[in-house]
Amino acid sequence: MSLPKLARIPSARLLTSILPHQLLQPPPHPSHQHKFPFQPVNFSFSKGIEGIKKHFTLLKKEFSERLVGPEGKPLLEHLLEQNLVIWEFRGPESLEQWTVSSDQEIGGQSEALLKLGRNDNTCFLYGALRSTPPRDGETRYSGYCSMRSKKLLASFDRKKHHDWSTFNTLHLRVRGDGRPWMINIATETYFSHQKDDIYTYFLYTRGGPYWQDVKIPFSKFFLSHRGRIQDDQHPIWLDKVNTIGFTLGDKADGPFQLEIDFVGVSKDYAHTEEFAYEMYERNPKN
Amino acid sequence: MKCARCLLKLQSLRLLGQSARPAAQHGALLQPASSSQPHMLQNTQHQVLRRFHRSPTHDKDRPIPADFFDEDDKKKDKSLVTHDDLFEQVARETKTKATFNKVVEVFIKQDVRRRGHVEFIYAALQKMPEFGVEKDLAVYNKLLDVFPKEVFVPRNFIQTMFNHYPRQQECGVQLLEQMESYGIMPNVETKVLLIQIFGAKGHAVRKYQRMMYWFPRFQNTNPYPIPKYLPEDPVDLAHFSLARIADDRDAKVTVYQLPCTDITESGEEITLPHVVGIQSPSQMELLAKHNPSRPVFVEGPFPLWLRKKCVYYYVLRADPVPPEEKVEEPYDPERSLAYPLQLDLELDRDLGDEESFDVEDLDEGAVFAMCMTSQGDQAVLNQWISGLQQNNPILGRVPTLFRLEQGPRELQGGHQTVSDHRHRPDPETQREEEEVTVEEEPRRSQGMKQ
Repeated sequence: MSLPKLARIPSARLLTSILPHQLLQPPPHPSHQHKFPFQPVNFSFSKGIEGIKKHFTLLKKEFSERLVGPEGKPLLEHLLEQNLVIWEFRGPESLEQWTVSSDQEIGGQSEALLKLGRNDNTCFLYGALRSTPPRDGETRYSGYCSMRSKKLLASFDRKKHHDWSTFNTLHLRVRGDGRPWMINIATETYFSHQKDDIYTYFLYTRGGPYWQDVKIPFSKFFLSHRGRIQDDQHPIWLDKVNTIGFTLGDKADGPFQLEIDFVGVSKDYAHTEEFAYEMYERNPKN
Repeated sequence: MKCARCLLKLQSLRLLGQSARPAAQHGALLQPASSSQPHMLQNTQHQVLRRFHRSPTHDKDRPIPADFFDEDDKKKDKSLVTHDDLFEQVARETKTKATFNKVVEVFIKQDVRRRGHVEFIYAALQKMPEFGVEKDLAVYNKLLDVFPKEVFVPRNFIQTMFNHYPRQQECGVQLLEQMESYGIMPNVETKVLLIQIFGAKGHAVRKYQRMMYWFPRFQNTNPYPIPKYLPEDPVDLAHFSLARIADDRDAKVTVYQLPCTDITESGEEITLPHVVGIQSPSQMELLAKHNPSRPVFVEGPFPLWLRKKCVYYYVLRADPVPPEEKVEEPYDPERSLAYPLQLDLELDRDLGDEESFDVEDLDEGAVFAMCMTSQGDQAVLNQWISGLQQNNPILGRVPTLFRLEQGPRELQGGHQTVSDHRHRPDPETQREEEEVTVEEEPRRSQGMKQ
């Protein structure tokens, strides 16, 4: 017989506690706002014109970029570059690329907000965590917040991915308050079961007034699904990266803050490790 | 966890004259998993239990384990025959590891078949934080001992395939999950117990194996490790955290004032807070080079988290120097005799040799010193500044402004006040005293660190 509770969770019980936010659907795309059928949809002319302008500009940019080289950079630069800044927070429009969520989605009481730091030069993620679980009868742990980058979209809302196959290290410049965060990278997957597959690793902050350079090789990222670390591990495939996110869920109630200067990737020639964890079969059949 | 199983109000049940745990289990299995919040259902749901093999009149003699932890029922719990008074007295007054262990032992001894052990274990797991034993591995092992051994070990391949004794396996897994959530590493005794109880291929043993694989891997990944037991003394704690945030081995921690309680003439008690500051030689140099006409700011309090504890520190910093006033000082060749600090080589670097990111360097003002104190008002911080002044005489000439926030606030929404006070100079210096002006500006946009 099977327990109804077990049916919800994969039968291979895995290591880490379930982080409820990874159990849920990702926050809906802003264009798919939650509307009831009887509410009128905005079909105005101006919205249409804006849409046309935006998408055709993107299309034009894509064509003109191809003339310069792949991804708008000359070919040699694209192949040989060692450091690439992916996100740097230099203005309010850089905050548009990020989505902030907290456990309020499941009924918790943590708060998380995002704004620009001093001199509009950095992003400042702050808020407060509260780990009282929501009283819905089934959630046991709560108290988390996360900041996730939005998926890249080409013209006409087509999917676009980050291609980091030539790089092997993630480089961040952060200023935290001593709390341990987690970095989640989500790649493009094929099967629907892989939808919540996330490669994750820890971001330990030192705290203090000085900036901290964090370098994490991609070989250290381990595979987890819905917050549970998986048995079958493999290194992350960097050619179709969708989103990167920062999560805090360290069960310490209170205010938190994280300031990020930039997020970049680099190629470290000294790093030769392919994968930090063993890939042998964990549950042999005999 | 099903609270219906966990916390049973025997009182009302006794009045009803019926109790049956097996029926409750059966009923709970058939229902969808409804609740895991015991405190929610405690008052609202009364589980009716019936005894199958004994008449209701024998209820009083039969202890029901979950009630051991229900405080209200302790007084009415007449079911413990042998350890009755002693256990109740101790449990009512102090909830310690010893009493917890005692309860577990009582349960183990009373029934060889350990009826109701699943509910007992769930209840015990829930009550652990109250007794203060949630981080104790020995207690978890003792709780694992409650399971009857070798009963749940699958004996043929069909049993192995079909999730043999699923409730017990789930209970074992939940026990390990609670261990994992508190970050406790199991030991070999846990492994032996788990194999004896569930067999080597059960879910609990698999979970144990996963824990033993991943925990050691992630134990030492923190480049700035925090000891498990932080110092209790606030001065020591301040010493540790300041050394941590200074990020400089040469930084020196100075205790400007130790915490003490004074009794003044009028009999009032005045507690003096501790003031601990840190400054490194490079910070001292920067401060010495600071332009005296520009003010320095005391900012704070900024939060610093050490595991579950948040401490606050204050920073002495200056605004960034505008580009026209920046002076490029050449490196002093005598600073390092082993190798030259500056090389003028015409290196032709290839595209693939760019080692820095194409990001403009953030120019934030230099930080000159940090301090930690329990009471962050201006008087105390003035003490810190005057203490700093002994090593940095320039502070006597530089105006010091205080940008303090009204205690640690959690979120934006409140207005903050910027109070500018002129730092009163020592009588030896020749600066005139200026009026103290307090300006209140609604500063809505600045966060903690700015």
